[in-house]
Amino acid sequence: MQVRDDTGNRLRFQLELEFVQCLANPNYLNFLAQRGYFKDKAFVNYLKYLLYWKEPEYAKYLKYPQCLHMLELLQYEHFRKELVNAQCAKFIDEQQILHWQHYSRKRMRLQQALAEQQQQNNTSVK
Amino acid sequence: MKLALDQGKIHHEMQLLEKVVEKRDSDIQQLQKQLKEAEHILATAVYQAKEKLKSIEKARKGAISSEEIIKYSHRISASNAVCAPLTWVPGDPRRPYPTDLEMRSGWLGQMNNPSTNGVNGHLPGDALAAGRLPDVLAPQYPWQSSDMSMNMLPPNHSNDFMLEPPGHNKENEDDVEVMSTDSSSSSSDSD
Repeated sequence: MQVRDDTGNRLRFQLELEFVQCLANPNYLNFLAQRGYFKDKAFVNYLKYLLYWKEPEYAKYLKYPQCLHMLELLQYEHFRKELVNAQCAKFIDEQQILHWQHYSRKRMRLQQALAEQQQQNNTSVK
Repeated sequence: MKLALDQGKIHHEMQLLEKVVEKRDSDIQQLQKQLKEAEHILATAVYQAKEKLKSIEKARKGAISSEEIIKYSHRISASNAVCAPLTWVPGDPRRPYPTDLEMRSGWLGQMNNPSTNGVNGHLPGDALAAGRLPDVLAPQYPWQSSDMSMNMLPPNHSNDFMLEPPGHNKENEDDVEVMSTDSSSSSSDSD
């Protein structure tokens, strides 16, 4: 009995880990909103229960930590209502992708600046 | 005449005493100012010390080994989960969140499709379901963290999420199953 409970709990852990990370996908949130899941009280309570993933001992398993921000926003009814609009989901998607590119852009800029500096040094030495 | 002289003397003494009283008054006021200043300085110092103690306590509570932080940051950066790959261009299917394909290939998607052996053979998740998956492909989507999570259990929760205060009944897998049923059918794509 004990073994089966553990297996069941482990499976539940895996499933909840997957599901909470799916919340990082704004298209999936739009999908859930359009099918009325956000109006279901039980589902809203489930979202509140999922907040345990913010604890460090659970958060370290998240590959997409941005899902926690979405989870926090989902606690607000206004946000849940807005997600029915495809435009809202599209906007969030675009902003997410832009933010995702922020570091690589910054790195490219730094590399360019470094290359320019080196070029200047070479020309000044000559 | 003598009375007038006496009055004069007393008046003179009174003036002297008034001067002394005035001087004492100004001394007391000076002391009051200094005490007030000292109180202000001490209050500031005590407040700052309390804030410092609070932040020390906070830091102690959240203490994590630097190795673990480095490991985690490497994990989320190397998989391009938080930083776009340098070669990313519009049209690249990679995203900062799990895509449709990843969602369907995971445990949630598999729960709904127990009998799709070889129907969509090109998907690694289905190959896993069919038991034909070689070991090297097993952690195809590390976001599922199958090997790391074996010792981890979720917190207890009530069977019915309609109740406000959570009890400690058996796990509720019905909610999860309903979601995976719908998510494996066409989810809204805006790509």
